[in-house]
Amino acid sequence: MDLRFSEAQEILRKMVRDFLATECPKTLVRELEQSEKGYSPELWKKMAELGWMGLVIPEEYEGMGYTFQDLTILLEEAGRNILPGPLLTTVISTFPILEAGTEEQKKEFLPKIALGELIITTAQLEADGTFDASGIAVKATAKGEDFIINGTKLFVEMAHVADYIICVTRTKEGATEKGITLFIVDAKTPGVKCEVIPTIAADKLCEVRFDNVAVPKKNMLGKLDEGWPLVETMMRKGAIAKSAESVGAMQTCVEMTVAYCKERVQYERPIGAFQALQHIMANMWTSMETSRYLLYEAAWMESEGQPCAKEASFAKAYTNEAYRDVSQWAIRLHGGIATSYDHDIPLYYRRSKAADTAFGSTDFHRELAAQQIGLK
Amino acid sequence: MDFELTEEQKARRKEYFDFCKELEKKRPASFVGLEAVFEVDECWQFHLDCAKEFAKKGWLALAWPPEYGGSGTMMDKVLFADARGYHGIPGVDIFGIGMLAPTVLQAASDEVKKEFLPPIARGEVMWCELWSEPNAGSDLATLSTTAIKKGDEYIINGQKTWNTGAHRADWGFGVFKTDPDARKHHNMTFILLDMKTPGVTVRPIPYIDGDAPFAEVYFDDVHVPAKNIVGQENEGWAVVNLLAGFERSGMGEIMSMFRELEEIVKYCNETKRNGKPLSKDPIVRNRVAQLACELEAARTIAYRIADLQNRNEMALMDASAAKIFYSELGQRFAFVATDLAGPFGQVKHSRWAAADGAWEKAFQECFVTIISMGTNEIQRNIISWYGLGLPRMK
Repeated sequence: MDLRFSEAQEILRKMVRDFLATECPKTLVRELEQSEKGYSPELWKKMAELGWMGLVIPEEYEGMGYTFQDLTILLEEAGRNILPGPLLTTVISTFPILEAGTEEQKKEFLPKIALGELIITTAQLEADGTFDASGIAVKATAKGEDFIINGTKLFVEMAHVADYIICVTRTKEGATEKGITLFIVDAKTPGVKCEVIPTIAADKLCEVRFDNVAVPKKNMLGKLDEGWPLVETMMRKGAIAKSAESVGAMQTCVEMTVAYCKERVQYERPIGAFQALQHIMANMWTSMETSRYLLYEAAWMESEGQPCAKEASFAKAYTNEAYRDVSQWAIRLHGGIATSYDHDIPLYYRRSKAADTAFGSTDFHRELAAQQIGLK
Repeated sequence: MDFELTEEQKARRKEYFDFCKELEKKRPASFVGLEAVFEVDECWQFHLDCAKEFAKKGWLALAWPPEYGGSGTMMDKVLFADARGYHGIPGVDIFGIGMLAPTVLQAASDEVKKEFLPPIARGEVMWCELWSEPNAGSDLATLSTTAIKKGDEYIINGQKTWNTGAHRADWGFGVFKTDPDARKHHNMTFILLDMKTPGVTVRPIPYIDGDAPFAEVYFDDVHVPAKNIVGQENEGWAVVNLLAGFERSGMGEIMSMFRELEEIVKYCNETKRNGKPLSKDPIVRNRVAQLACELEAARTIAYRIADLQNRNEMALMDASAAKIFYSELGQRFAFVATDLAGPFGQVKHSRWAAADGAWEKAFQECFVTIISMGTNEIQRNIISWYGLGLPRMK
């Protein structure tokens, strides 16, 4: 047992931290919230030069060949700084291609993803709002050399700027995990329509309508009717990845709050001298630190290829609430000033809701955990 | 990063678990809760018996230097606590082995080490801690029990309180004011004393559930040899801080909650209410799963502490955070478990009790870990002041 990061990992962390501090100030974050695209193509290009999108893609496909744990270090720093854009969704959408893609698909998509030439996202949720297989109703029907997709997907991150969308479809009647198939859909195919949904974090989650969208059979990802395990893997990795962002975000909330409470003077002393506030900060720190090691454990297991559905759900369910709690206390300890749109802390608070929803809510993951601990 | 134990550590862990599993079969039925050793005669005897068994294995001196009979590493100590926690086995004196021994090893004279360490390693002498006084709790530096030097003895007068197991212990260690005129923090000495010394009166205090895990101790002209001290005379405060620095990861407490979680899951799967198993109720599933999440968080932070300690690094903030977290989680466990058991959650160890009364006991006992070893509010001060660098209370 050795819970330290390697020297190389510490270098990666510092590199990401320094880069984002310079290249992604909060003025840019706010600007991107208001912008149509929701990301900065210039920044995206610079990140591509550093190899971020291809971090876990093997070198033979132009990637960096790093581990999943390395990726979570990058994402922890992204969460710490806040990095708007399609990095996380692109990286997470890479996994089913790595796992189940044909050699042809890998050669077609992975190098472009690694080089930052291609944005890809995944369309899973629908009107039912569940992360369960039962919520998948968008249909794909075989017709000649194509499959025809019909239906509406919701909360598809950055779909409006994506080049490709991995669409989770139902290819067999029913509401079970059987009969689900994944397709890599060119976002420019006729019949694909995107509309950005206004959300709390202005993070460009989209409604994507598929109206008789023809997808060539060669774009089927994995086997027909057996796509659900790929979705589960993606959700598990996504849950860990999102938890990493949340841990990073909590770190900023704690640091900014402690710094402010040392500085702000009321009743002729720094407000940080009051135990009423000290104990809240101690709690914030404790929530962050307990989240951190839950995350590191799940990320390590995932990285080692060990089964970790339980640990991933533990981490996600726990960090969801911890992040929300830490960020709401951060606002309260700052007082009125942090209720202003121009303050940095509310950027984190608003993202706690987005983080909570992505890849499964608290209650969703608690139910998965309930199954894992043996509740019949 | 590596969360996995080495093959050698895994083998050691298995050895501890196998041994404790066997001992569990001999545990008296009256052994309910964490403090049973101090409350029930046959449980105290079981504690002494286990201590002898462990002593034969050399497990009471884990991570001690070889010259005092020590073997193994800090990690072995954690893994051993792991096994005892899970199987609910006493036998390791939390005061003698958990607190006094590492302090003596670091701060006492060779003479004191040679006299006091071997009986601890042999499981022959059980200790208690003489810390708090009626008017000195969290602010321990204001204590007033005196130990005035006269010739080659100290003469102790005053009162200590909340002394867990003092009515069972052979020896006690504590801090006493040795120079009432000196300035704060330089006026007390860390003294070791035989609890059978004339003038020592021990009166058990009933805890909220009526049992007596702790006692108050009165000193009336108690003569103690002046050589029985740790650290320098009048510099006991430094020793107190040193002792407090031997943070524990809480692994034993955490593993006992893993066992409790298994019991809760079993109870939910087997208990029908409103015609269906509790485990089918989504609210029940949600609440139990939340406990499981938090328990894993407690376990990973305990690993973090063990990892740091194994490299002889300090884990001050994490140890405080872990103590806050696992003790309050213990309370949440008790609350959820007694809720799930419905009316049976209030029943004491008897025919209609849920989980043999373990949850009822936990409901009442949860304050022990929350308040002792520095209250959780003091732990929050430690995090704030020494960790986050916030201004100290004057």
